[in-house]
Amino acid sequence: MATQDIQSNERLVEKLAQKTAEVHVLKHIALNINSTLDLDQIYDLVLGTMDEFFGFRHSIILLLEDSDTLRVVASHGHENQPLGGTVPVGTGVIGTVAKRRRLMRVNNLRPQRAYFSTIRRRMEEAGRASELGKIVPVPGLPDAESQIAIPLMIKDRLIGVFSVESREQRTFSDDDEALATIVANLAASAIQNARLYRLVEERRSELAEAHDHLKQLNETLEDRVSARTRELEQTNRELRETQVQLVQSGKMASLGMLAAGIAHEINTPIGAIHSNADVERRAIGVIRDVLQDPAFPEKLRDQPRLKHTFKIFDDINRVTLEATERVIKVIQSLKSFARLDEPELELVNLHEGLDSTLTLINHLTKDRIEVVRNYGELPKVQCYASQINQVFVNLLTNAAQAIKETGTITITTHQDGACAVIEVADTGGGIKPEHLDRIFDPGFTTKGVSVGLGLGLSITYRIIENHRGSIDVRSELGKGTILTVRLPMAPPRSYLAEDQTVTVPLG
Amino acid sequence: MGAVELPDQIKPVMQNGIPAIVVTCSADGIPNTTIISQVYYVDKTHIALSFQFFNKTIRNVRENPQACVALNDLEGNAKWILDVQYDHSETEGPIFDEMDMQIEAIASATGMSGIFRLRAADIYRVRSFKKVSFSPASLQGVTHGDTGYTKQRASG
Repeated sequence: MATQDIQSNERLVEKLAQKTAEVHVLKHIALNINSTLDLDQIYDLVLGTMDEFFGFRHSIILLLEDSDTLRVVASHGHENQPLGGTVPVGTGVIGTVAKRRRLMRVNNLRPQRAYFSTIRRRMEEAGRASELGKIVPVPGLPDAESQIAIPLMIKDRLIGVFSVESREQRTFSDDDEALATIVANLAASAIQNARLYRLVEERRSELAEAHDHLKQLNETLEDRVSARTRELEQTNRELRETQVQLVQSGKMASLGMLAAGIAHEINTPIGAIHSNADVERRAIGVIRDVLQDPAFPEKLRDQPRLKHTFKIFDDINRVTLEATERVIKVIQSLKSFARLDEPELELVNLHEGLDSTLTLINHLTKDRIEVVRNYGELPKVQCYASQINQVFVNLLTNAAQAIKETGTITITTHQDGACAVIEVADTGGGIKPEHLDRIFDPGFTTKGVSVGLGLGLSITYRIIENHRGSIDVRSELGKGTILTVRLPMAPPRSYLAEDQTVTVPLG
Repeated sequence: MGAVELPDQIKPVMQNGIPAIVVTCSADGIPNTTIISQVYYVDKTHIALSFQFFNKTIRNVRENPQACVALNDLEGNAKWILDVQYDHSETEGPIFDEMDMQIEAIASATGMSGIFRLRAADIYRVRSFKKVSFSPASLQGVTHGDTGYTKQRASG
């Protein structure tokens, strides 16, 4: 009896020592598992400790990926099985534990599997294979005999499954089950904390990134606003120029039509007057011839009143012819300027255009400005004649208006490579240096409201630009201004293509 | 015969995975022997057998509640012979859930979910048991269908 008591006591002491050791290990796990937020460290600690101290050689942690799938995130003792394997919820021991959220301990897996497999084989042999489902491979030991699978729960929510396996039968005792459950609960909390921490870190990182981005945006906001403002101003300027050009083009078209109409109406009566004056001149000549006839009384022929009358006739006739020729010339210039019958791109003699323009602005230059035509050799240029004439009008009008009293306008032309060069120089007052950059801006004028709208040079600039040409200005206060236009002899093909949408031909 | 209490040492025998032999008898005295994959320990006076199919065993115990269960204890070189009486069937509760869960776990992985489905946990009261030892040599050539156990007619 005493021997039995001693043996019993020894077993109790041994049991106590074992329990004490287990408590120490659990304390070790609890302390360390909460000292890290790194998931891999948590997995290593849990699985490694279970092996080292409790002899659980084969263990595995799976986390719920979605409502239907568990994925292996840590594995110990399954060398041939990489991480990442999946288990459908509801399949196998692990999947069933996840589905039912209940611990499961099985100590005779292999015979049970063998039993089920035997039934399966017999059904297949009996031709009932269609009643069978697919065999689903699950992670873990293929020849496990014992297994404890524990749901990893956070409150009532499943986050995964912790499973330990053994190839031996009846490996896992009630004590093992209790131990594994404690570790599983510790692991669940630590895993959840680490995941939340990782989530927070990710959010924090995203926030920091967003903050940096916002900061960067704020820093560049001013620059971008300035750039955008400049773009808008430029667009606005271009819009205004286009609008002005359209309006001016419309006006010029109307003016052209008006000029052509007037020319046509005047042309016929002037032609009649001119023709009549010529007839009259010739009739007077006939009368003179008749008076020279010897049969005509000499006394009458030498009448002073008759001679005086003939002189009056001659003078009137000469004045009439000169006046009508002058009017006819003006009408031809008007028709040439308006070019109503030639709205297309054509080969144009620029000298003719300059001459027509000078005729039309004769009232600005007459008696006070000397016009020097310094024309060089210049082939015909392919362009819109009416638009180029408008350029000439603007340049020559400006030159004439720049000369307050008397002076000289010198027109020089020559060919420079593939370009025709037209230079208009005046001896007027010149342009102030601070105004030079703005003279092509629409609306800019120094002439005063009643004299100019500030559109002439702007339109000139746009027309020449549309012809792919260029215009330069040089000026010296008190000495005069030189405007130099360069026009390509033939504009590039691209110009022809977009021509119809960019410009509005006059007339 | 009154209920007796099962010793704790029979628990691992029930979980050892070795199929057990169940012998039943119809009302008109025709015995039937079958093999089942597992016998579940309920408490010291009860065991549970799974009811998955309408087979002869089920029909017999509904007619004649007496049954005999033989468990093989290879480590202990013994057989445990249990004289049991069908008590009732459970279709819910912890015993049913435990048995159902185990069947589902194995069946789902082997593509047998549609075949193995627990209809009920049949609870049997243990009327008596005995442990019959044998020498390891006597197991040579023994199969699950030939346990060496002599069929006995259930008493009333």
